[in-house]
Amino acid sequence: MTKEDMKKEIMNILNDIDDSIDYASEEHLIDDHILDSFMIISLVSELEDAFDVRISAADMIASNFNSVDEMADMILHLQK
Amino acid sequence: MGYNELSYLLLFLPAALIVYQVTPARYRKFVLLAFSWLYFFLCSRLLIFYLLGTTVGVYLLAIAMYRVQEAASRKKLLCAAGVAGLFGVLLYVKYTNFFIRVLNQLGAGNSGWQEIPAVKILVPIGISYYTLEAVGYLLEVYWGRQKAERSFVRVALFLSFFPQTMEGPIARWQDTAMQLTEGHGLTSENLRDGSVRILWGLFKKMLIADRLNTAVNALFTNYTQYQGAMTAVSGIFYALQLYMEFSGVVDIILGSAQMFGIRLPENFRQPFFSQTASEFWRRWHITLGVWCKTYLFYPVTTSRLTMRWNRFARKKCGKYVARIGVTAIALTPVWLFNGLWHGPQWNYIFYGIYYLVLLWLEEVLVPVKKAFYEKTGFSSSHTFWHLFRILRTWIIIFTGEMFFRAAGLRAGLEMFRRLFQGVHLSAIREGGLLQLGLDRMDYRVIVLGTAAVFVYDLMKERKVPVWEAIVQKRKAVSWTLVYCLIFAIVLFGAYGPGYQKVDLIYAGF
Repeated sequence: MTKEDMKKEIMNILNDIDDSIDYASEEHLIDDHILDSFMIISLVSELEDAFDVRISAADMIASNFNSVDEMADMILHLQK
Repeated sequence: MGYNELSYLLLFLPAALIVYQVTPARYRKFVLLAFSWLYFFLCSRLLIFYLLGTTVGVYLLAIAMYRVQEAASRKKLLCAAGVAGLFGVLLYVKYTNFFIRVLNQLGAGNSGWQEIPAVKILVPIGISYYTLEAVGYLLEVYWGRQKAERSFVRVALFLSFFPQTMEGPIARWQDTAMQLTEGHGLTSENLRDGSVRILWGLFKKMLIADRLNTAVNALFTNYTQYQGAMTAVSGIFYALQLYMEFSGVVDIILGSAQMFGIRLPENFRQPFFSQTASEFWRRWHITLGVWCKTYLFYPVTTSRLTMRWNRFARKKCGKYVARIGVTAIALTPVWLFNGLWHGPQWNYIFYGIYYLVLLWLEEVLVPVKKAFYEKTGFSSSHTFWHLFRILRTWIIIFTGEMFFRAAGLRAGLEMFRRLFQGVHLSAIREGGLLQLGLDRMDYRVIVLGTAAVFVYDLMKERKVPVWEAIVQKRKAVSWTLVYCLIFAIVLFGAYGPGYQKVDLIYAGF
């Protein structure tokens, strides 16, 4: 799966959680409190299933979840 | 030596600043550490051995973990031993007598039960704060997000920097550790901004919080004499006192650190503008919330057990049930910990459970709220709903703080019952407020002081850089404001005859 395909899949997951946010343009989803802790829990669980990765407490830092691009980078790193 | 005392403000802090500045840059970290340990010694004398033991233990454990990072099980064992040891000491000094009391209460009904006598244990200052910082550092190294620090001075300063000793803020390693040892010289901007922040903190504490203390003591000590509106006043006054006191002291702390060029993490972000209880906790005692989220909430929510439940519940019961189930699993340890962290009292544990239930309900009711706005056609962003949600959050805060301050859980429950008795404003109209040890002048100072804080918080909420704008453009205005602050503190501060000395509330936790 290419990074662009991965980003589309992540966008689908995010829109399923809350479709009122423009994820494509947001780059501070965590820093600006756009995604709250409970949304992140749902997101982590969906990402693990969709990309067959294990996201641990060590990966739970703002810079991994602030944008769709950063989430894709984290998943690519975890898949290595 | 509290941060609001003259011995700190006019002796200790200036002495530390002078010695720091005259020392060559590369040795300044040693000056900060010496003053930090001296401050701890002055507050807790020989109990400094707790701090020194923690520092040495954490420093060595982190290096040991780093050395065995390829051996996952040994690394895990070392981390678990460190965390257990740190919390073990905290439990011992703060909770031994609580557990003895509980055992005695449980055993009282059994014949032949011999009451266990209470143990005399001295509690070192700030143990609740530096223990959390130490646990956070160990977990950061365990997760591989930080390298084990080779510099003992940096670890020691991270755990003991004197402005943070008594009331936090609870820093994470990445927040402060590097800054503390940089040894930058003092600058006029940092000295000016730090001093003004200290003055602002003193204004909040001495004019408002310490003045309210007299009324709060009367209301909570003689709670059986009040009901209805006066009992509601108890919660409101204490919430106001706690905010002015804790945020005021944090202003003094952050101002002190700023004078050395060190930026500590903020602990408050206009909490009374929150629209929900969960938002309140993102704005109130922020660093405790961040610690709980980073080192408790995320480890629990990403644990295999929680993830297994999440998958199972999503398949069998749908996303909604899975989500509220995970929320309950994750919130329970966080809020039990939050309650217990404040101290060994049932009303603190109740306070934690109170917010656990409220935050869980917030999640449970998300679809209901969504349906309400959709069906009625109301706009959730309309000013009316915005103000309604703020007022609703105030009621939640005031009720919670009433339980928090009550003289035990039984007293808290009795006060809550009394809230609904004799619900009319006549007690206040007929001079009830003037029988709490405060006169009309005191109330004028409280109202005007609170109005000043409200305006400042409102500006910050609207992201207006008030102070920066004044300093950069109008020197005369900024000096006038500084003199007003000084005169207000000296003339209207609640100190001297007629006022009790008020210890720092959060230093007791």
